[in-house]
Amino acid sequence: MKHSVIAVENISKTYGSGESAVVAIKEATFEIFSGETVALLGPSGSGKTTLITMIGCITEPSGGKLRLNGSLVYDYKWCISDTRKLRRENIGFIFQSHNLIPFLNVQENVTLVPLMNNVSTKEANTRAKELLEYLGVGDKLDKIPAQLSGGQSQRVAIARSLANNPKIILADEPTAALDSERALSVMQLLRKLAHEQEVAIIIVTHDERMLPLFDRILRVEDGYVREEDRL
Amino acid sequence: MINLAQRDIAHSLGKFVTTALGVGMLIGVVLIMIGVYRGMAHDALIVPNDLGAELWVVQKDTLGPFAETSRLHEDLKYSLKGFRGVKAVYPITFQSLQLFCGEKPVRVFALGYEALSGYKPFKLMEGRAIQIPQKEMIVDSKTGFKLGEAISLGRETYTVVGLTHKAVSSGGDPMVYIDLAEAQELQFLFSNEQIRNDRIRGGNTPSTSTVNTFVLMLNDDAEPLSVAHEIEKWKHQQVYTAQEQEVILTKNLIERSAKQIGMFTVILLIVSSVIISLIIYTMTIGKMKEIAILKLIGAPNSVITKMIAQQSLLLGILAFIGGNLFAHASADLFPKTIILVPTDALKLLGVVIIVSMLASLSGIRTALRIDPASAIGG
Repeated sequence: MKHSVIAVENISKTYGSGESAVVAIKEATFEIFSGETVALLGPSGSGKTTLITMIGCITEPSGGKLRLNGSLVYDYKWCISDTRKLRRENIGFIFQSHNLIPFLNVQENVTLVPLMNNVSTKEANTRAKELLEYLGVGDKLDKIPAQLSGGQSQRVAIARSLANNPKIILADEPTAALDSERALSVMQLLRKLAHEQEVAIIIVTHDERMLPLFDRILRVEDGYVREEDRL
Repeated sequence: MINLAQRDIAHSLGKFVTTALGVGMLIGVVLIMIGVYRGMAHDALIVPNDLGAELWVVQKDTLGPFAETSRLHEDLKYSLKGFRGVKAVYPITFQSLQLFCGEKPVRVFALGYEALSGYKPFKLMEGRAIQIPQKEMIVDSKTGFKLGEAISLGRETYTVVGLTHKAVSSGGDPMVYIDLAEAQELQFLFSNEQIRNDRIRGGNTPSTSTVNTFVLMLNDDAEPLSVAHEIEKWKHQQVYTAQEQEVILTKNLIERSAKQIGMFTVILLIVSSVIISLIIYTMTIGKMKEIAILKLIGAPNSVITKMIAQQSLLLGILAFIGGNLFAHASADLFPKTIILVPTDALKLLGVVIIVSMLASLSGIRTALRIDPASAIGG
């Protein structure tokens, strides 16, 4: 049974004030459900990153309402005191370049968030091994990111984003640094994870070849967010 | 929880250790500076301690014999011996000399004492005391002279019969010991030409029976201050107790040098603090991306603060250990005495820990200002 995981209502973001004010997002309203993969399209500077950082409770919106997993987190002001706690317990992030912590090995990169959530080391390690095995990098536990290929690093980053059993994954061009074959593989993997684990995934992408793999497409242009119809 | 500081250091161990050793050299120099001061205070008291005086009789209105020149007639000793409570009186002379050990000039501080009195104002390490005052000399091993070696001094040649170890003056010059009469000749006897000139001018030939101070030993039941008072009252000379002489030596003689060293030490500590702060700040700047990622994935400020503070503390402690090793390894290479005291090192460790913690504040402040959104591209 699908349920609303992200509910955005008239959310907007303005940088600066007065004559120099720049409106990045204008009263966006949409809803994303569990198990959905959503593509966030738009030209550079259109406000994609602003939108994703607002949903990720990194950037404070200028107005509107935001519900995550049914809880009101923003209603013209933050309704929660600790946005970082909310992130590490509910949201997984995947970046354009894998952005693993270079001084931690693969297993430590994946267990870091669960350990910060006070999950036991044993449980965190077991979960990390399962995820890494599932993603095909189970033999790289002791390697540091510099010893991995781009594709392997991105798989580890995906494992890290899933380690805290999130309801939401926010990904910023996760395939940009990969060749088309690996990019397709990663996208198929994310789609599979979304459907299997009931995770809502929003992916910022420029690669229109991947669009058939998404359930929905949101396009951001000049601060406006609109949903595109699937053909 | 994973120790991020430890992992980060292990990841770039060589860089971290090299940085710590660099800071350690600075801390080592701070320790050496403190050691120089300790050495000065120690050296200043070697001769007084070896002399073992309970009272010092010196020329009236002077801070003699170390801080100011003092001259007294030698025959004063007979009247000093007559004071109640005085057990023994030893006339002493002091003078700076330059000897030659082969071709090498050696600055020494010569102490003249009555060799046949049984009084031994030194601690022999090798050889014997002066038995016959016939141009025999005891020298400190630091001069480089060996037992039996002949030393040309004034018009005479002396033979080394005994060696002391680490006996130096307050100025750090090694000590030599000769018989009083010979020392008096060296210090007070003019050349034949000057004596002749003085006689033509109608002057008298000056007596060499002059000393710089009298060292007094007291009976067990004697009260030093009352004996001193009596001598000052009846003989019109200045008398200092052992404690007063120690104060003169440490306050008057080495105070300015100590202040100078203290200033250098404070400046070095400030420089070290600034350098540690800069290193911690640079280390934090070098990890901006990682810190942004940590914040983005939800790491609380305490995790980031702990990582920087631990690294800063470890840098300080490692630098302190390196500095200590450096100071101990190089202390003996310095020409003057350097005394490294564990309590000084512990105090410095306290300072280093405080400085490291304060230094980490700049890094922590920078880290807490990093926007987690900077980890996301676009």
